[in-house]
Amino acid sequence: MSFLNPQSWPRAILHFDGDAFFTSVEQAVHPTLKGRPVVTGKERGIIACASYEAKALGISRGLALHEARRQCPQLVVLPSDYETYSLYSKRMFHIARRYTPMVEEYSIDEGFADLTGLRRVFHASYEEIARRIQSEIQAELDITVSIGLSLSKSLAKLASKYRKPKGFTAIQGGAAIGEFLRQIPLEKVWGFGPNTVGLLTKHGLATAADFIGRPEAWAERLLGKVGRELWGELRGESLYPVSTEEKPPSCTISKCKTFTAVSSDPEFIWAKLVRNVESALIKARRHHLMAGGAAVMLRRADYRQSGLETRLSRATSASHEILPVVRLLFQELMETGAAYRSTMVILCRLVPETSLQYELFEDPVRAHRLETLNLAVDAINSRYGKHTLSLATGLFLGHHGKTDRDDQPIRKTRLLPGETARQRLKTPRLFLPV
Amino acid sequence: MPRTMNIHSHVAKMREFLQRERRMPLYGELLPLFGYRSRNAVFGALRKLEEHGFITKNRYGRIRATPLLSGCIRRLGSVQAGFPSPAEEELADTLSLDEMLIRRPDATFILTVQGDSMTGAGIMPGDMILVEKGGTPVSRDIVVAQVDDEWTLKYYIKDKNGVRLDAANPRYPSIRPRRSLNIGGIVKAVIRKYA
Repeated sequence: MSFLNPQSWPRAILHFDGDAFFTSVEQAVHPTLKGRPVVTGKERGIIACASYEAKALGISRGLALHEARRQCPQLVVLPSDYETYSLYSKRMFHIARRYTPMVEEYSIDEGFADLTGLRRVFHASYEEIARRIQSEIQAELDITVSIGLSLSKSLAKLASKYRKPKGFTAIQGGAAIGEFLRQIPLEKVWGFGPNTVGLLTKHGLATAADFIGRPEAWAERLLGKVGRELWGELRGESLYPVSTEEKPPSCTISKCKTFTAVSSDPEFIWAKLVRNVESALIKARRHHLMAGGAAVMLRRADYRQSGLETRLSRATSASHEILPVVRLLFQELMETGAAYRSTMVILCRLVPETSLQYELFEDPVRAHRLETLNLAVDAINSRYGKHTLSLATGLFLGHHGKTDRDDQPIRKTRLLPGETARQRLKTPRLFLPV
Repeated sequence: MPRTMNIHSHVAKMREFLQRERRMPLYGELLPLFGYRSRNAVFGALRKLEEHGFITKNRYGRIRATPLLSGCIRRLGSVQAGFPSPAEEELADTLSLDEMLIRRPDATFILTVQGDSMTGAGIMPGDMILVEKGGTPVSRDIVVAQVDDEWTLKYYIKDKNGVRLDAANPRYPSIRPRRSLNIGGIVKAVIRKYA
């Protein structure tokens, strides 16, 4: 079994993970912010990402912004600039693809790469190739990643998290794997949720090493197919392939807005939800898509959330057709008297506009009129500003003064010549006083 | 509902492939490109594209792009009276503006200049500069650099005493880094857009 040979790499899987990705990108774009405690998420009121400098001051992801500011007055708070983060993300994956076409974009800030068989091509060991990817990302993008290199995706992912930031951890060979996994508590393993960890703890397990020490059949009996696969992956057998398939683009459109202050007024909450539906539909129409299903989520003041999803009898992009359905979901979800902080709508089962099929007892003339109406509304709004013409429920939204939540990233406020509110240059910008 | 084929999306996918690979796709490559599972479906789609004049087939049955499909990256022109059109031939090797200005797309960033330290080099306040990261500057390169914690835009000069940063504006003196020099990137182009 190759597993026992300390020199062999039956598979070389790399996991790279951006260190505090959003804030690192902000510090790369605004080099004057390097070394300062930076957080993103100003528009949400909650910290989305904290730089290592901020983490050192006790600020962490998910903390309420006012609380963080109180703890740390010198904190630099920025609105999220997902456009720039996505541009950096794409470049990070491009750099990995210089070495291998087998790169999986697992999320915006982490990915897998299969390096198996590349040693001869690059006249370098797997460790050297991995370090080259790491240093090229740092030299060209000015952000750091932590690297895990091992025999399977599960091991590589654990390895990259092991040392951070700018870490490099390579694990290979039976003894090294065993020694490494003895330091990994069960809840760190990719695929073990709180329930699984609870179950395994009941059986007397504490670390990932305890898990792979048990027989394979035991793992399968207790946790089924996934258990057996994880057991193999953690022992260095690559069972989950690096999947290069691009995730289907925009399979759903979602709009979520947090209120300026929590509210228990049903009219207001409904108006917020309607506004989200309108925004989502505007986006759908812009991309010539129609929704075949919709989901509604309400989040309470204490962050507990509940949601409902439904299918529509026919795909549509008209607010008059979707809102009655959304209204039903809303009435089902909304609890009178409870305080809420945000509403979200998700349009799913998106289909191209052209594949419209009417139902048997439907009035296509009405549907066509609604379509014309929406096109007219979009035309007016594109000229006079988004939501200038909107459903009357919007009157319940009230007017609030300008707050943190209206803050836009600098990329969107200081446009380059030729850029518009909707289209900006594909090249990331640097902001330096030179 | 009868199945319809969106010929424009097929054309767009072929164009994208052509632009990326600089060659036409093979039949096997067309399966994932068009999202089909059967080769027969690919043949059907290709027949349609041929009917509409986007592709032709040569005598081996291989597909060729017509100028209708290849658009701007067409190779030599159609042979008329025995000679290719000289204009087409001249255009066979052309660069886009992007390719001309940007050598390494993953490492290039854009920066709006505020100061006037490089006006002598034609870099005015408000101009956009393309900055390439990750390279090593040589003498006379224009660099964005952090000198003793201060960011500046200057000529990078190596002399016998070490590294010096010169402005292209007599109002700014040359500076020599005392504690630290950190190169943020090398300026590769200046863009100024009128109106």
